[in-house]
Amino acid sequence: MRSPVLPLTWHLTRSAGRRGLQSHLLAAGAAAVGSFLLLVMVAVSLGAGTRADHTTWRTPDAVPAKDATAVQVTTTTYVRQEPVTVVNLAQRPDREQTPAPPGLSGFPKPGQVYVSPALAELLHKLPAGQLADRFPKTKTYGTLGAAALASPDELVAVVGRAPGDAAVAKTAGEQNYYDDGLTKRAPVSGFADTKASVFTGADQGTVLLGVVLLVMPVVVLASAAGRLGAARREQRLAALRLAGATPRQILAMTAAESAGVGAAGALAGALAYTALLPALAALPYGVGGWYTGQLWVGLPWLAAVVAAVTALITVSAVTMLRKVATSPLGVAQQADPRRTRAIRLLLFVAVLLYIWATTGQGGQLKTQQLLALLGLFYGAFWLFGPWVVDRLGRIVGRRAKRPATLLAARRLSDDPRGAWRTVSGLVLAGFVAGFFSVSSLGSEGPSHEGQVAVITANAADARHTAAEARTALHRAGVTATVSVTSEDDFDSLLSGVDGVIADVPGGQERIDTAVTALTPLGSGRYPFTQAYVSAPDDTITARVATVSTATLVLSFLVAAASAGLTAAANVLDRRRVYGLLRLAGTPLEVLDRARVRETVIPLAVLAGGTTAMGAFGAMQLNKAAGTTINTSGAVELVICLAVGALAMLAAITASRPLLRKVTAGPAQTAD
Amino acid sequence: MSTVLAGYGLVKKYGSTTALAGVDVEVRERDSLAIMGPSGSGKSTLLHTLAGIIRPDGGQVLLRGERSEMGVPPAEGWGRIDRLGENRLSALRRKRFGFVFQFGQLLPELPAEENVALPLMLEGVPRGKAVERARRWFAPLGLEGLEGRRPGQLSGGQAQRVAIARALAVEPDVVFADEPTGALDQNTSAEVIRLLTSVTRASGAALVMVTHDADVAAHCDRVLHVRDGRISNYSQYTVA
Repeated sequence: MRSPVLPLTWHLTRSAGRRGLQSHLLAAGAAAVGSFLLLVMVAVSLGAGTRADHTTWRTPDAVPAKDATAVQVTTTTYVRQEPVTVVNLAQRPDREQTPAPPGLSGFPKPGQVYVSPALAELLHKLPAGQLADRFPKTKTYGTLGAAALASPDELVAVVGRAPGDAAVAKTAGEQNYYDDGLTKRAPVSGFADTKASVFTGADQGTVLLGVVLLVMPVVVLASAAGRLGAARREQRLAALRLAGATPRQILAMTAAESAGVGAAGALAGALAYTALLPALAALPYGVGGWYTGQLWVGLPWLAAVVAAVTALITVSAVTMLRKVATSPLGVAQQADPRRTRAIRLLLFVAVLLYIWATTGQGGQLKTQQLLALLGLFYGAFWLFGPWVVDRLGRIVGRRAKRPATLLAARRLSDDPRGAWRTVSGLVLAGFVAGFFSVSSLGSEGPSHEGQVAVITANAADARHTAAEARTALHRAGVTATVSVTSEDDFDSLLSGVDGVIADVPGGQERIDTAVTALTPLGSGRYPFTQAYVSAPDDTITARVATVSTATLVLSFLVAAASAGLTAAANVLDRRRVYGLLRLAGTPLEVLDRARVRETVIPLAVLAGGTTAMGAFGAMQLNKAAGTTINTSGAVELVICLAVGALAMLAAITASRPLLRKVTAGPAQTAD
Repeated sequence: MSTVLAGYGLVKKYGSTTALAGVDVEVRERDSLAIMGPSGSGKSTLLHTLAGIIRPDGGQVLLRGERSEMGVPPAEGWGRIDRLGENRLSALRRKRFGFVFQFGQLLPELPAEENVALPLMLEGVPRGKAVERARRWFAPLGLEGLEGRRPGQLSGGQAQRVAIARALAVEPDVVFADEPTGALDQNTSAEVIRLLTSVTRASGAALVMVTHDADVAAHCDRVLHVRDGRISNYSQYTVA
C-alpha cells in the first residue's frame, strides 16, 4: 500500500494558512542565509588556497647549474606602500629554450617588460620618476595573463634580462634576514609550483581560523530555522498522534516538511551565492579582489552545502518532535519543563581545569595546541550555556518583582536550551570579539619610516654610492640626508649591513621617487624601505585584522538574524496565549518587555563571560607566539559588543509589529 | 440587584454580515447571564462587545462607576465604555473584568499560583502579596496543593479552575466566560460550571457566559437566546 506520509504532509503544508506560510518563509529565509554564508566561507577558504597556488611559480624552482636553462630572480619593490613583485628572467645562452612562465606565451626576451593589469594602470597613473623608471625603458608593456596572478589587483612585473644584467647577478639574490620570502635567486629550467608568495601564503590559514569561529553561529541560524513553527507543528502532529498516527509516520512527516522548506531555502541561498559571485569577487582580501572563478566552489561543494543545511534543518525539526513520538499528550500540553543537568557544569569546570593545568606549566604551548584549547573553550560554552540560562532563570524568577521580569525568568527556566539558542550567536560572537580584539599580533621591531636603503658590497663602495645617491636624488628633486652605514651601525634600516641610507622627508611620493632614483645604484637590487623589512609581520597582522573584522561583522549579523527569527517564531508559536492575555487587559508593553528581557538577561551574563574567555584565550595565544597584545583592541571590543547587542535588540524589536498584529483582537467572525 | 453593565441598541457588522442588529442587554450585580445561540448567531460578538474587546458600530455600552471618555456621562455614576481609547479599555478590562476562555489562556511556564497572581502584579500589587491573595482562591475552587503546578501538569478541569481563580483574583465587577467548558467532558464540565457560578456569585461579581450547552446554561440565573444578531428568546431560571 502506498505510504500516506508524503500526500498528507503536502496537504497539511498547503493548508497551513497564511501564518503557516509565514513560518515556512522565515525558515526558508534562514536556510538561504545559512547556505549563502557557508558557501561564501567555503569559497573564500578554497579561493585563498587557489590564489596562493597562482604565486608559487614566482619562487624560483632551483635546479643544478648544469641543468639550468635560465636564471630567475624574484624580488619585491614597494610603491605607495604596496608591494610590486618583480620576476627577472634571463635565458642562458647555449641552453635549451626555457618554457614560458604562467600568464605569458613565451619566455621574455631581454628588455621586454610584462606587467599585470593593475600595475599597468599604476604605471600609467604615476609619474615615471616614481615607478616606471625602476624597470628597463620600453615603448610598450606586455600584459601578464590571469594564470600568473593571485588577484586582478596584484602588482606584478616579469622583466626579461640579458644574462649579464646586474638584476640577475648573484649579488641581486644575496640574502639578509629581511629578504626571506621577498627576494630569491636561483638557476631554473622551468616554473614548477614551489612556495607561495609571502603575500598570499598565510591567507588560507587565517581564513580558516575565521571560518572555524563563524561556523557555529551559522549552524545556530540554520537550527533556528528548523525550529521555526515548532509549536504549531507540535500541536498539529500531537493531534495526529492522538488520532492514531505512528511515531515513525509523525517523524517522517516532520522530516519531509522541514526538508522541503530547508532545501528550498538552501537552494535559494546557493542561487544567491552564484548570482552574487561577481560582487563577492570585488571584495578585497590580502593582495586585492578575486577572479570570479577563484570563488566558484564547484557543483560538488554546492550540492554538499545545500544538503548539509537541509539536513541540519531537518534534524533540528525532528529533534524538537522526539517527545511527540513517545508522549503526545505531554507535548500537546507542554507539561515538561526542559531541564538541564549539572553534568554540564561539571564538564565545563573539567575543561577549565584542563586548560589551566595545560597552560600553567610555565612552558609555552604550540599554536596548534592553543587553537585546540580555544576550540575546547568554544565547545564547553556550548554545553555550559543552557545550564547557566536555566540557573539564571530560577534565580531571577525567585527575585522578580515586576511581571515582565517574572515572565522572562520563567521562560528562561522553562526552556533554557531554546533561550540559549536565541542568544548563543551573540554570546559566541562575544567570544570571537574577545579573541580577536587582543590577538592582533604586534611587532616590536624598530621602525625606520622615511628611510630608503641601498646595499653595497662593502664600506668603500658605500662611500662611493653615497656620493652618487646625493647626485641622483638631487637630480630627481628629492631633498634627503644621505649617510653611510657600517657593520656596527644597527640603528638604521640596514641594521649592520654595509650600505647607504637616505632619510627622505616629505611623504610617500618623495620616498617612491627616491627609491626610483636610487634603483640604478643597487647593483641589481631594489633600494628598500621599512615596508619591505616588515612585510612578513605586517602581512600576517593585516590578514588577521581583515579576517577578524569580517568575522565580527558576520557573527553579529548572523546572531542578530538568529535572534530576530527566533523572536518572530516565538510570537507566532505563542500567539494564542499572548492574544488571550492581551484581551484580558495585559498591556502589550509588558509582553514586549518580557520578550526583550528573556534575551537581555542571559546575554548580559553570558556574553560577558565568553568575551572574557575569548580575551584570555587570545592572550595565551599571544604568549605562545611571543608577540605583544593589542591593547587598543579593547576599544574595538567594547564598540563591537555594543553594536552587536543593539543589533540583536533591534532584531527582536522588529517582531513587535507582529506581536501587535497577532494579539490585535478576537477572530473577526459573526459568532 | 442594580445593573452594573448594560448595552443598548448594539449593532456590529463584519462586511455585509450583521453580527448584532440592535441588541439591548442589562447585567445586574451577582447576576449570571448565559448567552446561547447557534454558530454564527452573534453570541461571542455580544460578549466581546460588552467586555470592551470589540467596538460596536452602533449603540452604547455603559458601565457603572466608570468615567466617560466623552465628557458628560449619560447618567449619574455611569460611563460609556464603547468609545474609550485602547489603553483605557485595556486597563478597564484588567481592573474591572475577569475572563475565562475555552483553553490556552494560562502561561505554560508559570506555576498555577503565579498565573493567578499575574493580573494583580500587573495592577502594581507587590509579588508577595499578589501570590498570597492568589492562593486564597485555590481552596474554594478545589485546587489546594496544586499551587506550584504548571498548566501542563494540570488536567483540563483543573486548568479551567485556575483560569477562574485568575479571573476572580482582581475582584472584578463582571466575569466574562467564552465557552469555558467547551474543551471539557460532561462531568468535569458540570463541576467547573458549578464552581464558576457559585464562586463568582459569592465574590459579588456578575457572570456573562457564552455557551452552546443547555445544561451549562441552566446553572445561570438568566439565558439570552441570540439568533441572527437579535435576541430571540429570554428565559429565567431559579437557581438554588
